[in-house]
Amino acid sequence: MAANSMERSALSGADRAFGLRLALPAMLLLLVLLAVPTVLTILYSVHDVPPNGSSLGAFVGFKNYGVVLASPVFWRSVEVTVTFSIGFVVLSTAIGLAMAMLVNQEFVGRSLARALLIIPWATPWLVIGILWKWFADGSVGGLNAVLTQLHILSDYKEFLSDPNWALPITVLAAVWRQASFAGMLLLAGLQTLPDELGEAAAIDGATVWQRFIHIVLPWLRPVLITVTVLNVIYAFLQFDIVFAMTQGGPGDATQVLSILIYRQLFGVTHIGIGSALAVVLGLIALVGGLAVVKLLYRPEPVPI
Amino acid sequence: MGDKTTGLFPGQIDRRDFLRAGGAAALGAAFLPGLMSSTAQAAAYSGTLNMLGWDFQPDTIKSLVAGWTAAGNPKVDVAIIPNLGYSSAIQTRLRGGDKLDLYYNFAYSSQKFIDQGWAAKLNGLPDVDKLLADMFESARARHVNVAGDIISVPYFSAVHMLHYNEKMLTDAGITTVPSTLKEIYDASKKLQSGGLASPYVAYWVKEFCEEYFHTYLLNEGITAFDDKGAPVFADDPKTEGVFAWWQSMYQEGLAPKSVLTDDPGKESAQMAQGQAAFFVLHHYFLTSIRSIGGPQSNNVKSAPIGGSNYTLQIGEVLQMGNIADADEKAAAWDLMKYYGWKDKNGKFSVFTQWAKAAGLAAPYPGFFTDPDVIAAFPSYYDLPMISKVFATGSKVVPARTLAWYPDFQAKVGDLVHPLLLGQATPKDTVAALTKAATDAQSGTGI
Repeated sequence: MAANSMERSALSGADRAFGLRLALPAMLLLLVLLAVPTVLTILYSVHDVPPNGSSLGAFVGFKNYGVVLASPVFWRSVEVTVTFSIGFVVLSTAIGLAMAMLVNQEFVGRSLARALLIIPWATPWLVIGILWKWFADGSVGGLNAVLTQLHILSDYKEFLSDPNWALPITVLAAVWRQASFAGMLLLAGLQTLPDELGEAAAIDGATVWQRFIHIVLPWLRPVLITVTVLNVIYAFLQFDIVFAMTQGGPGDATQVLSILIYRQLFGVTHIGIGSALAVVLGLIALVGGLAVVKLLYRPEPVPI
Repeated sequence: MGDKTTGLFPGQIDRRDFLRAGGAAALGAAFLPGLMSSTAQAAAYSGTLNMLGWDFQPDTIKSLVAGWTAAGNPKVDVAIIPNLGYSSAIQTRLRGGDKLDLYYNFAYSSQKFIDQGWAAKLNGLPDVDKLLADMFESARARHVNVAGDIISVPYFSAVHMLHYNEKMLTDAGITTVPSTLKEIYDASKKLQSGGLASPYVAYWVKEFCEEYFHTYLLNEGITAFDDKGAPVFADDPKTEGVFAWWQSMYQEGLAPKSVLTDDPGKESAQMAQGQAAFFVLHHYFLTSIRSIGGPQSNNVKSAPIGGSNYTLQIGEVLQMGNIADADEKAAAWDLMKYYGWKDKNGKFSVFTQWAKAAGLAAPYPGFFTDPDVIAAFPSYYDLPMISKVFATGSKVVPARTLAWYPDFQAKVGDLVHPLLLGQATPKDTVAALTKAATDAQSGTGI
């Protein structure tokens, strides 16, 4: 018995070493691409870095964080970012799930529908921002045409110049792309769902809604966690679409943290303050991601 | 303008631009003998110069520079990057150690680049004093800082003008072209009551509000900053009135609701289509409006604004990188003189090309009387009038080139948009802008 245990341990040790060797190139790459910039950003955030980057500058401790946390501009930006993120995560996950359910059904043209699902995801964020800027235009935009035809609006509306509408429209534009990504991942999850489960439930008298709640959603939980965490990260880091559509305006209505960071780091080259903002945003994204995992993750029962 | 986030120059490269680029190459060839007459100094450098510009007619830029090289001067590697994000991009490149001999820059960044060691002072370089002497006195403060250091040469210059639809004004019984803010408001009201929904358009996106901040204050005879860069606009009792006017123009619908996000291309089209009767922006947008060929294009003319006061003169610049090698520096300077002043024949050959391409101007009185330049401008331009505005009707506001200024520039839109949206009063906005200026000078705040 003891010999068997030792043998398993030795084998697993060899496996671990083999796995480590396989992962080493990727780990080194990640170290260079992620760890180095992260450490530099943290270092910059506690220094008064000159715009030309010739040195780290004077060590200022948490002064830059103090400036950030004392600024009403920052807190307003946090509010915008959180609002944007909630809308983005909820809508892109929900619409993605709906799209996945739809294209998982048997119907004529299903293959084409699945192929079309990829198009938004294959389009760069910036391009989508430009497309949606025109789509939401108050004079010539298709969105106004659709809404007036459906009698939802009585007259054309300048969505992007209206501080109450600009943020929802940028959320919609971002959701349009991200939902297709969520849809693809969730579709992959749905395709692993055995038909027998649904059929058995139907025979037992479960309604469509009951089957969705008690069979489909639990089955998709691991994929949903992944999708939601990715959506949270994408939401907090979103820049391109908002910049292309509104540059953060009108006023500060769409000034998400990533735009504030861009302006501080690259516009006015306050590298210390911009880095402090970036660290804070990273922490917010981390907390958001962990909260989602905590909320959605339940350990799978271990088979006996 | 962290940057001018929308390419400010009208339109993108199209067939016409392509043909113009071809014309530029021919122009370069035509000036070849003149260029060859004094190339000895530049020719001493055998390497390749590095030049960076933004993407307004990149083929024209390359052909103009190629013409200079073809005259026996060093090769030039011209890199073009988008206007959108240019300032951020060039700062990132320079911070990363990119070597640039000369580059386009926004005037408001020029002193900052000197202070950061990214740009060289031009004091003492051959003919630099002649170049400055040739310039409109009003323009010199953009290129010479308060300490007397020469920090840049012109890439192009422009003045804010009122583009107006003459026929619409006549039809509405407006016999005199409005000039002051009040006259523009009154005329806009009259046009609006006559059925034109939003008669006034302007490029009021966040990044561009700062130019209008100065334009409108200058129109009322207020200079926002004193010679030392101290914000003094709050001291003038007329300032609140300017902001009240600005707010009224938006709140009363005299400017369309979309004006906070519209780009100049759309606004030029609104003028060309007759959807607006006034458009305040740089003088060269007349080219854009006319070239659209809309039903009202030919009725649009331009006039000075500010009455007996001033308008804003703007201009972007060429700066020289910090070059250690004397021959390389001489070659870069030779190219800068050619590109930002005159060729060796004393002709404004590069500026003439920009005038043909888009109606851009050079801040030199001689530019407006040069027969080639006059021939290059379409006949609908009133060059003597524009020249007069450059000479006596405009100011550059020297504070706009100070090192702290980009910080202030970046905040103006954040504070003006709430005013326009009715979320802030004129009084609060004046106070907030004053604080933004003092914060920018002290390097505090976000």
